[in-house]
Amino acid sequence: MKQLVLGDFHIHSTFSDGKLTIPEIVDLYGSLGFGAIAITDHLCESHSMIGKAARYIGHTLTPASFPLYIEILKSEADRAMKQYQMVVIPGVEISKNSISNHRSAHILALGITQWISADKDALEIVREIKSLGGLSVAAHPVWTRKREKQSYHLWDRREELKSEIDAWEVASGPYFFDEVLHSGLPMIASSDLHHRNQITSWKSVLHCKRTQADVFMAIRNQELSFQFYQEVNNDYPRSTNAPHLVRSPNSDTLRNSPHNQGDELPTPAP
Amino acid sequence: MNCQPPHLDAPFGLFPVSILKPLKGAENGIKENIRSFFDLDYPHFELLFSIAENSDPAKHLVRELIQQYPHVKAKLIVGQIEAGPNPKVNNLIKSYEAASHDLILISDSNIRVEANYLKRLVAHLDNGVGVITAIVAGRNAETFGGKLESTYLNTFYARWMVLAARFGNPCVVGKSMLFSRKTAERFGGIKTLARYLAEDYMTGVAMLRLGLRVIIMSDPVPQFIGSYPMRDFWSRHLRWGRIRKSQAELAFAIEPLFGCFVSGIAGSWATSQLFDCSWAPVLFLHLVFWCINDLILQMRIGKELSLSAPLMWLTRETLSFPMWLHIALGKTVMWRGRKLVLQPGGLLDPKWGQADA
Repeated sequence: MKQLVLGDFHIHSTFSDGKLTIPEIVDLYGSLGFGAIAITDHLCESHSMIGKAARYIGHTLTPASFPLYIEILKSEADRAMKQYQMVVIPGVEISKNSISNHRSAHILALGITQWISADKDALEIVREIKSLGGLSVAAHPVWTRKREKQSYHLWDRREELKSEIDAWEVASGPYFFDEVLHSGLPMIASSDLHHRNQITSWKSVLHCKRTQADVFMAIRNQELSFQFYQEVNNDYPRSTNAPHLVRSPNSDTLRNSPHNQGDELPTPAP
Repeated sequence: MNCQPPHLDAPFGLFPVSILKPLKGAENGIKENIRSFFDLDYPHFELLFSIAENSDPAKHLVRELIQQYPHVKAKLIVGQIEAGPNPKVNNLIKSYEAASHDLILISDSNIRVEANYLKRLVAHLDNGVGVITAIVAGRNAETFGGKLESTYLNTFYARWMVLAARFGNPCVVGKSMLFSRKTAERFGGIKTLARYLAEDYMTGVAMLRLGLRVIIMSDPVPQFIGSYPMRDFWSRHLRWGRIRKSQAELAFAIEPLFGCFVSGIAGSWATSQLFDCSWAPVLFLHLVFWCINDLILQMRIGKELSLSAPLMWLTRETLSFPMWLHIALGKTVMWRGRKLVLQPGGLLDPKWGQADA
């Protein structure tokens, strides 16, 4: 049966630069009542300087750590379903980093259990994700409003990639991206969580069954809305430019939805 | 390292252990090494010996000991499952699957233990502990190569193992490795480790990734060295060194700086420049201080200190830089008759996992 599923599809663990282990992430989201999450650790290029640096300091998945990562994700997905009825989707954030923001691109590959090289062109990567049965998401494709390395490459090529990428992040953490909102591209909102306190952020609310296939279908069909998830006693900044928005499952229009601040969503733990 | 295990008064009967011993060949002292496990003072354990081939000379030794100790639950398991290029893991899989208990202890054939070893090991079990390993103490060295091996284990390796653990990167040694099979299944069990050369180190990595702790037990576990040829000493440390290089390239690159000679030369030169004094006495004092520290470590861990110990120490220190160079210049290792090619992160190239002609 379809139900409202609170989801976060961009989360980092200690396999890259996150601070929580995969079991800690599962327990955190499971105990807060989330219905679906994707763990997406960085998978950096092997030849670029930034990619090599990430490997030296352990901030990226490598061909050596990837098998362990996938095995742990599998076993934790089983546990999450049994313990919390929560779907855990294996994924990676393919991170192509360059000194130039316009040559940098981060692509979320959800539902992937095989190694994908980040050394290829973005279009090839997206097509490989599709061929492996995964779902691709353009991660924070525009200015993230944070003092950090930006990645505009996908946004620069959005006309070429719009039919290939399944969704574009309209919000990352507490910041909402108007450019994406008004672009007509398929959207998704996630936290890009690295630390425990980043749980307060924009999230996606899907209308689907609690299985990976149904979650993917809901994202592809854009049967989702966006919700700012505020954890109690957390003063994390929230962008003021975005109203609570919902995309109607049967319409292409976005509209304000007073009932989207809803009581049907799980209440954050005190 | 603590001096005493934390739970020596635990009800050990509630913690049965399956001890897995991978064997290959009838090496020096193996019978007495294995016998020490039959003599363990522990209420509930089983011994599972793994040999890959029926023709392995260790088979008869094990059969003989099983007959001598009918009251000890022990089994010889022949044959291996090719889960990856790591021959030790392949050899262990059948035993791992046949083990009756959740607690699994993997223990190499050259380990010779005291009767209370298992109790003192299990006494480290606690909430949040993923794997318990031990510092390896080189004992009973007879030959020049053996004494060098013993010096290496009791000084350089012991020091680095403790240091790595203190800095949050504990190194698990497969010579003594206790963990729960249920926990190991959370990362796919030991089959997942067959693609790595250092299955022991990766066990520690996997446990840390699960948010569990890696513990070094309070007692070093004794490795019987006996008559150990120089060739074996070099080949083993080449293999261990190349594992270190593949796991942590940066740390390996700066390794010589933490050796006695390079740090001594750099330090004495810097001192001579700063204080306008001669470098030679500073270097001499540095070497003496380092040597005394290492000899104390050798005495505490190895429980013996021969007259030749300072000479062995000097030889080992002198060999450390050529060995580092040799390690740096290649990525292949010979292990259990196989030539293996190491990739970054300790992965083995599956194409190279064949027996060497």
